[in-house]
Amino acid sequence: MILRFEGVTYHYPGIETPALDGLDLTIHSGESVLVAGTSGSGKSTFCRACIGLVPHFHHGKLTGKVLVDGLDTGKHPVHELFRHAGLVFQNPDAQLFNQTVEAEMVYGLESLGLESSEIEKRLAWASNLTELDSLMGRSPHTLSGGEKQRVALGAILTLRPRLLLLDEPFTHLDPEATEMLRKILRSLKSEGITIIIVEHRLHEIIQDVDRIIIFNRGRSIAEGPPHQVLSGDISGYGLNLPPLLRLLRDFGLKITVFDIEKAIEELKAQNLLTPFYQHLIKQSLNPFVPRTETTHPVVEIEALWSNYNGTPLLRGINLKLQKGESVALLGRNGAGKTTLIKYLNGLLKPQKGLVRIFGSDTRKKSVSELSRNVSLVWQNPNDQIFRPTVREEVLTGPKIFHSYDPLWCDGLFDRFGLLPFLDRSPFALSEGQKKRVSFAAALSVKPDLIVLDEPTAGQDEPYRRELTSYLHQLREEGQTVIFVTHDFEFAAEHADRWLILSDGKIIADGSPDGVMEEATAMSKAGLRPTQQFQLIQAIKRLEENKN
Amino acid sequence: MKQSILDPRSKLVLALVAMVLLMTFSQWAFLIISLVILVAFVLSLHLFRPWFNFLKGLGFAVLTFFLIAWLAFDLTTGIISGLRLLTIGVVFFLFFQTTPPEILSNGLLKIGFPYPFTFVLTASMQFIPVLIRRTRNIRDAQRARGIPIEGGLRSILHLPALAGPLLIQSFKFADELAEAMEARGFGISGRRFRYEPRFRWSDWVVVAGSLIALIIALLVKFL
Repeated sequence: MILRFEGVTYHYPGIETPALDGLDLTIHSGESVLVAGTSGSGKSTFCRACIGLVPHFHHGKLTGKVLVDGLDTGKHPVHELFRHAGLVFQNPDAQLFNQTVEAEMVYGLESLGLESSEIEKRLAWASNLTELDSLMGRSPHTLSGGEKQRVALGAILTLRPRLLLLDEPFTHLDPEATEMLRKILRSLKSEGITIIIVEHRLHEIIQDVDRIIIFNRGRSIAEGPPHQVLSGDISGYGLNLPPLLRLLRDFGLKITVFDIEKAIEELKAQNLLTPFYQHLIKQSLNPFVPRTETTHPVVEIEALWSNYNGTPLLRGINLKLQKGESVALLGRNGAGKTTLIKYLNGLLKPQKGLVRIFGSDTRKKSVSELSRNVSLVWQNPNDQIFRPTVREEVLTGPKIFHSYDPLWCDGLFDRFGLLPFLDRSPFALSEGQKKRVSFAAALSVKPDLIVLDEPTAGQDEPYRRELTSYLHQLREEGQTVIFVTHDFEFAAEHADRWLILSDGKIIADGSPDGVMEEATAMSKAGLRPTQQFQLIQAIKRLEENKN
Repeated sequence: MKQSILDPRSKLVLALVAMVLLMTFSQWAFLIISLVILVAFVLSLHLFRPWFNFLKGLGFAVLTFFLIAWLAFDLTTGIISGLRLLTIGVVFFLFFQTTPPEILSNGLLKIGFPYPFTFVLTASMQFIPVLIRRTRNIRDAQRARGIPIEGGLRSILHLPALAGPLLIQSFKFADELAEAMEARGFGISGRRFRYEPRFRWSDWVVVAGSLIALIIALLVKFL
């Protein structure tokens, strides 16, 4: 046994509702465990309790007992626990505080006062495992998100903890970085390290774990091997099920499998392959009518080039968007997606090439003028919140543009479930509620083009469902929507057009299925097709082979 | 960053003595010869490009200094003041270009500065780019809502739109950082550095040379 929680209840200072509520659990040495649950279910507090930050750093009131590697965290301070259990936090920026990757990796070892030879040995081991050898002299803040994540992991690994915890490690990673992290975690498991991963997105890791524990309101409400837990009735716990499982459940099947081959075997065994295939085809048909070209596109981009400090970010982008289109912008981190959307409301002005929004050259209009028609919903709502109440926050745009429409704005408050919070401070809301405020604020100016940056990143299933309903409404209203995402299932569900960006160029443009069929472009951009697409293709191939 | 063969402490003594000498003497010839020697160091260390970038920033200050001294006194004083600022700037440019912050921090620790002080010195440099990035994100988010914070006097009215989110995020960031540091053993006793600065004979030569030069210069100046 490496970790044990015995009836642990914990209250943050001044908060009445417990973050952990009588939690009992045991983790055995060498196990790999996934902890899942909605936002606010106590997952992050659990991680902090495992390394003693709760209660030593956060204070508050803890009852019960937490034993890590045989040590009672109540009696041992964090600096006595950190060599036994290490936590990779959610935000890589805030845990990298040294000038170079190398200095970051050895920081904990210097704290322990180890001999140079031991430091070198551990550094070599951890840098090799996390594939960081070539980045040792770089400053952590110049690295990509995936690289930063690996540095944060490496800095913990050098301490050789017997228990490794990762708090939502996949949130900001693209598919390639996700795959790399999975590979590293598999190597660590083979070295006998106990791994606990806290994650919303079950499908990223479910196949690699021995056990899954589901948290709800600070308690463990279900636990066991993934097959067993996901076979039970867990619909009420707001989990983001693996897409394959969702497809099977939608069809009314109870089987619990995580890969395509096994799903096909099961379907064959139950003689359900053909009806399931027909169901998939029916589901994949886009209910929204493709838009025809009009003389006045919403967005027209011609030969757009962009560079930053001499590095080209966009290289000759040509793009037209018609009214009512819903477009997903996909590609690996650093491909130029965020740069491209900043041209849509004039935050960036073309130095080379042309961008026209609703027929106007963006070079001739200010950001304020363009923002009347183009609204951006950013990934982090905390970047914009500054008003004392939710009402004022949402109405900031209409007041600036003198375009306040009470009927429309009241409708938005209702649509986004903000009525109970209108007079509350937006700072006091949960992250999911802040997201809703930021979405409502974007729509409050009645924009004609809505741009969303990573709308599902770090969000739990209940918010994803809400987002789905908001986007459905927008599409029914004939709004033009463009969103940047790594969430392919979401992109397939909500976009009728996919654009793939790679090294600053659009390398594929078409319907989701059409783009996913372009295997070369997908692989060049480091993307993988959705599980639904993979299933359809696999069954198609089987049928063709039969004939 | 160029790694130096000297200990940061001896280099710090050298830089401080150079600064005192440059402040003490007002002769043209001395300042120009000093500048030529410093530029020779810059070129021999292949630091021309970063030096050029540094000059772009320092140039404005040198020019302002020159103009103020010229207007307040005379042209000669203006030129000497400008030259003096430039040479002192290059001394510290060379010092920081050849001394990684961590090595400097370890050196200061050896002199007797407390660890939290030396840590803040290095970490604060590290987080400047992060804060700049966050500020840029916030500015973009607010401009995208039509809030005019592009610059100019009007933008002062909208300062809370920039300062509010930045302050809140900075507090949150500081909290997260403190947690991460705690979890990696920040501040526990018995800390040992991978690269312990060591005083070699070359460092003693540099310190002795610097002090002798300082004493001779002060005697020449004041006797």
